[in-house]
Amino acid sequence: MQNELRQTCRRLLEEGTVQVVIGYGDGTDGQTFPTFVTRRDDVERLVWNERCYTNLATYLTRPEILALGKAAICVKACDERALVVLEKESQIDRSQLVVIGLACSTDGVKQPKCEACENRTPRWANVTIGDAAGETAKTTADRYAALQAFMQKTPDERMAYWKTELARCVKCYACRQVCPLCYCRQCIADKNRPVVISTSATLKGSFAWQITRAFHLGGRCIGCDECTRVCPAGIDLRLLNLSLARAAEENFNFRAGVDVEAEPIVGAYSERDREEFIR
Amino acid sequence: MSEQQPFEPKIVAYVCNWCTYLGADLAGTNRLEYPANVRIIRLPCTGRIDFNLIIKAFEMGADAVLVSGCHPGDCHYTAGNFHARRRWILFRQLLETMGIDTRRVHFSWISAAEGKKFQQFVTEITETARALGPYQAYREICQAE
Amino acid sequence: MSRIGIFICWCGENIARNVDVERAAAEVADLPGVVCSVAYKYMCSDPGQSLMRQKIVSERLTGVVVASCSPHMHLRTFRKAAAMAGLNPYLVEMANIREHCSWVHHDRQQATTKAVELIRMSVAKVRANAALQPISIPITRRALVIGGGVAGIQAALDIADSGREVVLVEREPSIGGKMAGLSETFPTLDCSQCILTPRMVDVGQHPNIRLYTYSEVEGVEGYVGNFKVTVRKKARYVDMDACTGCGQCWNACPSKKNLSEFDYQMGNRTAIYVPFPQAVPARPVIDRDACLHFLKGKCGICAKKCAANAVKFDDQDEVITEEVGAIVVATGFKLYSIDRDQASSKLAGYGEYGYGQYPDVVDALQFERIVSASGPTGGEIRRPSDGQQPKSVVFISCVGSRDNAKGISYCSKICCMYTAKHTMLYKHKVHDGQAHVFYMDIRSGGKNYDEFVRRAIEQDGAHYHRGRVSKITQENGKLIVRGVDTLVGEPLTIEADLVVLASAMQPAGGATELAQKLNVGYDEFGFLSESHPKLRPVETNAAGVFVCGACQGPKDIPESVAQASAAAGKVLVMFSNEQLSREPEVARINETNCAACFACVRACPYNAIERAEVRDRKGQLVKRTARVNPGLCMGCGTCVAICPSKSADLEGFTEQQVYAMVESLV
Repeated sequence: MQNELRQTCRRLLEEGTVQVVIGYGDGTDGQTFPTFVTRRDDVERLVWNERCYTNLATYLTRPEILALGKAAICVKACDERALVVLEKESQIDRSQLVVIGLACSTDGVKQPKCEACENRTPRWANVTIGDAAGETAKTTADRYAALQAFMQKTPDERMAYWKTELARCVKCYACRQVCPLCYCRQCIADKNRPVVISTSATLKGSFAWQITRAFHLGGRCIGCDECTRVCPAGIDLRLLNLSLARAAEENFNFRAGVDVEAEPIVGAYSERDREEFIR
Repeated sequence: MSEQQPFEPKIVAYVCNWCTYLGADLAGTNRLEYPANVRIIRLPCTGRIDFNLIIKAFEMGADAVLVSGCHPGDCHYTAGNFHARRRWILFRQLLETMGIDTRRVHFSWISAAEGKKFQQFVTEITETARALGPYQAYREICQAE
Repeated sequence: MSRIGIFICWCGENIARNVDVERAAAEVADLPGVVCSVAYKYMCSDPGQSLMRQKIVSERLTGVVVASCSPHMHLRTFRKAAAMAGLNPYLVEMANIREHCSWVHHDRQQATTKAVELIRMSVAKVRANAALQPISIPITRRALVIGGGVAGIQAALDIADSGREVVLVEREPSIGGKMAGLSETFPTLDCSQCILTPRMVDVGQHPNIRLYTYSEVEGVEGYVGNFKVTVRKKARYVDMDACTGCGQCWNACPSKKNLSEFDYQMGNRTAIYVPFPQAVPARPVIDRDACLHFLKGKCGICAKKCAANAVKFDDQDEVITEEVGAIVVATGFKLYSIDRDQASSKLAGYGEYGYGQYPDVVDALQFERIVSASGPTGGEIRRPSDGQQPKSVVFISCVGSRDNAKGISYCSKICCMYTAKHTMLYKHKVHDGQAHVFYMDIRSGGKNYDEFVRRAIEQDGAHYHRGRVSKITQENGKLIVRGVDTLVGEPLTIEADLVVLASAMQPAGGATELAQKLNVGYDEFGFLSESHPKLRPVETNAAGVFVCGACQGPKDIPESVAQASAAAGKVLVMFSNEQLSREPEVARINETNCAACFACVRACPYNAIERAEVRDRKGQLVKRTARVNPGLCMGCGTCVAICPSKSADLEGFTEQQVYAMVESLV
């Protein structure tokens, strides 16, 4: 697969179809690194293995990458959902992008999120590399199992949990930087006049920031869990994302990035939206 | 000493200009008395009211927050309240997950004609907030170093 | 540096009774930026306002807080006063210490504390206020009128007579609408066509009216004062300019047995036809589905007969763009179809009345044609099935109207009157006939209306039965009408030769689709929504779009005409200015920060935000951005709440102002 990937990328660069390939390269400590190949001879740097867990879609909205020209991007089926959302939000022009789909073998990338994996082969790629492994149907119970377990706690216990967890947040914003859908040119967290979110790394600021981050991903988060993976404090941000994903699915029958036709639920409404909680 | 004085909660209300604000005006015109705990912030429409404002109110020491606007179909701007309602559905789920006390976050539709409803609802949420006591949990969050 | 002045009103005893205004004035005097804080008996009075104006000048105030009543009461008053003293009116804020404080809190201590906090909030806000200038928008002083019935005709003529150009679009081949097909009108019994057709001719000949018949509004872009409307002129297959309307073509047309739309399928017309003799324009149209040339590829007799060479079999639809500043919607009504359209309608229908099944059960508009001198029977009352003169006619009112079970709760308003009229017209032509009316109530409010109904009953002998009809069956050529007379308290069966149903009025087909294009609201029945039911009855919530006639709700001819003139008046008020001035409290986008996700574009209830591009001097694309059209923005702020980066903000209620208010609540 890796060879096929390299050949495909070499061809794309040789033919001038793209000017840059966004893929995975070998890093230190057995890690993989996001790698940007602009010369055909450098395609040997591209790798594909079980450590390629990064969602590279986050680079598609970076000005320095855009400046390199037309791009090809390697995506797994889970990452690919980000492209659907980005396209709906006018952040990428799918016709100006070559999507190289990488099918995960059954013993593919090993991450917590793989437990809930439903589809191992990208569906909307221009080129798909690897075996088309089958789909695994998952129920909503499977999808939100971790959240369900967490919600067994009482509200006070949940509050106590977040107080402990978010006390470790140092506001490094790695969760924001890695997120493929956090592409604002100026984040609300960096805004002054007025300061909406306290900028200091106090509990107050961390609460406000994580509530804001999660809510801004409401109906948008694709569950790639990159935020949780990169958090240096080891905070399980996934729970917040899952709670909004479940709310979107339960209330609006909507899952971000799984249907290219479905319109975003943010900025839309139905006259029949529920309101039993409104007096 | 606080045992002598009953606890008086601080309540912040974000209301739309065309329905609930006028409902509160009507409560005034009709001299419908209610507890003096609520501080009304007038905004053009519930569509303008962002979840960050609710968090901000708690940061400023609010013990309860009310968000209120026009009934569905009556929005002065045709659909602002529908957009708001959809956001509240999502936001309430997040509050639940965070363990933020949803008994302190109230949403209502109160029309310009519902002065009585405004009086009753504000009285009710004030009493609820009194019974719940100060929102200690969020105050601790805000005081933590 | 802010220099804020605070003016606290006693409102006589209204505020001062429960709020210690002097103490409040003292407590807020030390707030940051405050340079003067005074209490006065009546701030809204002349001396109160002049006190404020003096202080604005003497203290060089940069902001004013008036703590008094609701801003809905006097914000405009105080802003005007500030402007007179040279302070930008948008630097005035109010603290509502009357409706929201002194009137609802009787504990003086608590009320005073709250008043102080409310004032503190307003001071915090006004410190963040910006001077705003009213927005000026140029106006294209031409109007579009959609619908050429009596309402549209009236609106178009009124606007055109004032010297402004009007584009009138009518979907049918002729203007005239429903009124052109009516026989005589209540309560005067004057002939409908006699009063309408001169108006139609006026429209056709008016130098300021551009008439598009057989045309539909396809798209509307732009905003108040600056609409771009695309109109589809359907292929007519007749050259409008060359044709003289001589009639040689339709007299010669061999395809004669086509049901006439104008006669509601009770008469025939040719394939090339004018809907009725007085049509405006008096130019025919070819019905492709009936024309032998289109069906079989031969014939063409009309083209041969036409001395003017006006028949154009290769005619195509034409799409025209018109620029207008205001739009009047006058799309009118249709009758509740009790047997048809059931699949597309949630209405339950009246299958039990046999409409569509028994040819002698007709609706009110069909009866108008039966009575009309220009109708299919030449004005003689003959029933559709066998052409016999009916000796007993049953009229049923409220068919569809006021019946929640059938899907419509409203009263169609005109049926009581036209049913009375029908019984009279019938009696005047069939002297030995008997008219029966089944009714729920008789609603005859209006000048000379009740007298008219009494005449129908007392002079022309119509039998009125208060009650509903449960079923109509057909036996031996008679219609057996089974109902009840609730005043007598007995069931009632009448053998009728003809039954006329006063079906409910509904908005004309396509009205809701048009409303969506125009961004005008409509109710659950599809009637277009006026801006305010009492004070803004012809305006809509879409600036620059007005409504009149039955598209807004059931109404009769005099009301439609009055509303049409009102709409025209509103258009002319708008056109009396060269520029349109709008409140500046609208949204704006920080285009540098906007990430161009366009969530705001999707959310905006007014389509006031557009996708735009920022280009450099060489025309290179720098970035994409959302952009607010201040001419369309109504200032709801939905975009602000939805924008994750808060690149959208709302003047008058900016993020900074609102946060300042919350933060003042320490």
